[in-house]
Amino acid sequence: MFAQVLTSGIATGCVYGLVALSFVLIYKATGTVSFMQGELLMLGAFAAVFAHDGLGWPLLLAFAGAVAAMFALGALLERSVLRRAIGQAHLTALLLTFGLGMVLRGAVTAVPAATHEMHRLPLPFAGEHIAFGAVVVAGEHLVVILATALLCLGLGLFFRFSRAGLALRACSENPRVAALMGVSVNGMHTLAWALGAALAACAGLLLAPMTFVFPGMGLIALKAFPAAVLGGMSSLAGALAGGLFLGVVEAIAGLYLPEGVKDATAYALLLVALLVFPRGLFVTRGA
Amino acid sequence: MKALLTAAVLGMVAVALLGADYALSQSAFVATWAIAGLGLSLIVGQAGQISLGHGAFLGIGAYVEGLLAVAGWPPWVSAPAAVALAAAAGWVASLPGRRLGGMAFAMSTLAIALLVEEGLVRWESVTGGAAGLAVPSLRIAGQVISGPLGQSLVSTALLIVAYACCRRWVASRIGRAWRAVREDEAAAAAVGIDCGALRSLAFVLGAGLAGLAGVLYAHWLAYLSPEQFGLQLSFELLMLVFIGGAARLAGALWGAAVIVALPQLISLFTDALPARWGSASGVETLAFGLLIVLIILLRPAGIAGERRQAGREAG
Amino acid sequence: MKKLLALLGTCLALACAGATAATPGVTAEQIRVATIQDLSGPIAILGAPIRDGMAMRFDEENDRGGIFGRKLRLVVEDSGYDPKKAVLATRKLLQRDGVFAFLGDLGTPVVMATMPLIIEAGRPHMFPFSPHAATYQPLDPLKFQLFAPYQDYMNAAVRQMVTSNGYKRVGLLYQDDDYGLEVMKGVEAGLAQLGQKLVEKTSYKRGATDFASQIARLRAAGCDLVVLATVVRETVGAVSEARKVGWNVDMLVTASGYSAQTHELGGKAMEGLYGVSVMPHPYAAGANDRLFEWIERYRTRYDADPNVWSVMGYNVADVFIQGLRGAGRDLTVERFVHAMEGLSTTRDFFGGPAYHFSAQDHLGNRHGRLARIEGGKWVLISDYLK
Repeated sequence: MFAQVLTSGIATGCVYGLVALSFVLIYKATGTVSFMQGELLMLGAFAAVFAHDGLGWPLLLAFAGAVAAMFALGALLERSVLRRAIGQAHLTALLLTFGLGMVLRGAVTAVPAATHEMHRLPLPFAGEHIAFGAVVVAGEHLVVILATALLCLGLGLFFRFSRAGLALRACSENPRVAALMGVSVNGMHTLAWALGAALAACAGLLLAPMTFVFPGMGLIALKAFPAAVLGGMSSLAGALAGGLFLGVVEAIAGLYLPEGVKDATAYALLLVALLVFPRGLFVTRGA
Repeated sequence: MKALLTAAVLGMVAVALLGADYALSQSAFVATWAIAGLGLSLIVGQAGQISLGHGAFLGIGAYVEGLLAVAGWPPWVSAPAAVALAAAAGWVASLPGRRLGGMAFAMSTLAIALLVEEGLVRWESVTGGAAGLAVPSLRIAGQVISGPLGQSLVSTALLIVAYACCRRWVASRIGRAWRAVREDEAAAAAVGIDCGALRSLAFVLGAGLAGLAGVLYAHWLAYLSPEQFGLQLSFELLMLVFIGGAARLAGALWGAAVIVALPQLISLFTDALPARWGSASGVETLAFGLLIVLIILLRPAGIAGERRQAGREAG
Repeated sequence: MKKLLALLGTCLALACAGATAATPGVTAEQIRVATIQDLSGPIAILGAPIRDGMAMRFDEENDRGGIFGRKLRLVVEDSGYDPKKAVLATRKLLQRDGVFAFLGDLGTPVVMATMPLIIEAGRPHMFPFSPHAATYQPLDPLKFQLFAPYQDYMNAAVRQMVTSNGYKRVGLLYQDDDYGLEVMKGVEAGLAQLGQKLVEKTSYKRGATDFASQIARLRAAGCDLVVLATVVRETVGAVSEARKVGWNVDMLVTASGYSAQTHELGGKAMEGLYGVSVMPHPYAAGANDRLFEWIERYRTRYDADPNVWSVMGYNVADVFIQGLRGAGRDLTVERFVHAMEGLSTTRDFFGGPAYHFSAQDHLGNRHGRLARIEGGKWVLISDYLK
């Protein structure tokens, strides 16, 4: 039973982790805490539903299209709105993202088909289970875990070996030096937001078979936030680890601790972690 | 005097446009929100801290007042108790600030706020839990205050008192010390200012004012449930302060007017739209979000802030 | 300053002048009715179809010439589930729009915060979508409710299930809000009548994604019936989780989980799930002629399939209209209340319950019926449980 709950916790933790990853990516590169990752996640999932159900695209193409569209949206928002908040107080940008989140949520809610019912993305393997000994893993959980691993591998390679990835890292470490070395800091900001939005969209696609697609699905970002902080807000690996940790702890707390403690766990942990390890639980060097 | 005239004209336009009860009811909520905004403005604008959980203090004030009012305590006992408890919670919430700075501290306030909300749900035997708590009308000297006129008068009177207090604090040595800490902590410490204690003081006063707003809110709404004091409210208050202008106390008044009245204006506007557009559900959220974004972009220092100082205000 | 004061006075006078008609919201041509919905907040997924169902019934009546020549006008306000916004919207509806009654307001915080204002203004507060008992108790001439309370029908449903299937260990998974609490009270009361107790209860927060730990807990307690106080998404989540780990326990969900979306989203894992139905879901397949025609009309009008919430919206509007008809040509609040107190409806083409109101009882219905998902749709397996 313990192992069973553990695997569920890991799968949930992966989604937390991915959203946390998108938070941290943006935070590191631009210094902005984005409060619209939940909305971006929701919009990404809706984009895929629209492409698949509305336009009749095959599933994989719909997924790719949704992620690409969110990548573009992230870039567009940075170019048109968020860029103007650079150089101002942290809070300006934070509130700006909150306002943009409202705009996105309102825009989705204004589409009647979006509010009338929940939608389903017919992911392959969803609803199937695979038994590993005594532990039964749901297909969608397995997909989430594998996809997260793949995404992280891809991101890792991107940051280590690609030109843009290296430039983005340089920019996060020290924008001034990066600029002197010929990196376009503005361009990197755009890239960070685009990547952050695309990552959130991926999280949305992976979450879709678990919670379905509806305007409120972005609420999960509230949990991803503590995950990012647990990871120290500055390390991508830490964010992922923070997400996993949170997912697992929540699941286990739900099993063993008294009724009602489960939901407070994430925030209590966050508080304790902040006080005891102000630099994050999983501080690692680099990305 | 100019401000007073502006307020009077705005008030009249509102009355003419909306009808007396509707306008007065709005003014009651505007004043209540402005009191909470003043509190947050002390924390954000003066002491330069970020509180992402200010709604929780309002919630504590509201619940304490609600519970004591149900138990039959008169408001002149219950309201100070509510304010005191909210202030105490503010002190507790400020403690992580002794170790943490910037965003990490902001996160800790967020965590505390969410724990408070969870606590209100779980402490069922006292708060009524998720089923909520019905609060009787405010009763001052045998007079039941339930109409919009009474609510508006009480809120406005308390707002004036709160505003006067804030002005005194901001102009006093404390206010100067707050600003010193905000601008340069090291320098402030060097001249013998106890930065931690000062920040805590800002939180105590700010949370106390939020508690006072909570007292009013409990009676004006007559029904409390934990979900009303979640993250949404905290962000609403933060937006209020920012939109109005964090550096000036008057910003809280402007911000409250915008946050409370703007959705109403938008809804009046959508009523006038052709049914097909007006009935689309998300239009109001969309318009509100859009206006918030526009205000932040066009007046980064807030409505009450000066244009020239754009960007240097909130510290 | 004097000029300003004079202006202020004029404005006040103008504002007051509008509110002197005989019965508010009723003119020779029109009856204005208000509804406060959540169209943009956490339960917008219910608010939108409710509004659409209500609007459809109103327009139907208007196309037939209205009620004694008066057309019905529905004034919709969006609260976004924020009680503060709802209070302001109520003031606006009372004063600016001058409505006759409030119909089908959605959400407990919204209803509880606005109901006192509405009653104080002397307007009928009709059939709010809230499980709170204050919507019909204590008896108030202006408060009417027609939704069977969770406490009553879950009590009856659990007793029926336990006596007919002989369960010994009943567990509960509930949402930790007023909805979940109402269900818990009903289930506990029902079990107590049979000399049983809940062997395990466990909760989740709205927005939860993972039910592994809750299901594990209920399974460890050895439950043979699990009552679900869940909404659609969580119903699917909880049942799928149980089936995934190979636990084929019987489960019974409240009317909030009785939705076609439950089996549409949940697929074959939902087979065999018991549910309580208060209003039946409008399935096009196997529908009677009137229902089929209604579904078609709804589809053309809104470009979406109707669901159980659209039916409920339509239903509250329908009963309200029957009350208005009973009140006669000279519509006043007193006449309307009197007509409502004598109203007994018959079962409609949806197959919903019959409602009975009296001067002593303003709650129209207390009963639900059992249903089960068989072959990918809900099948009703009992009549209303008295």
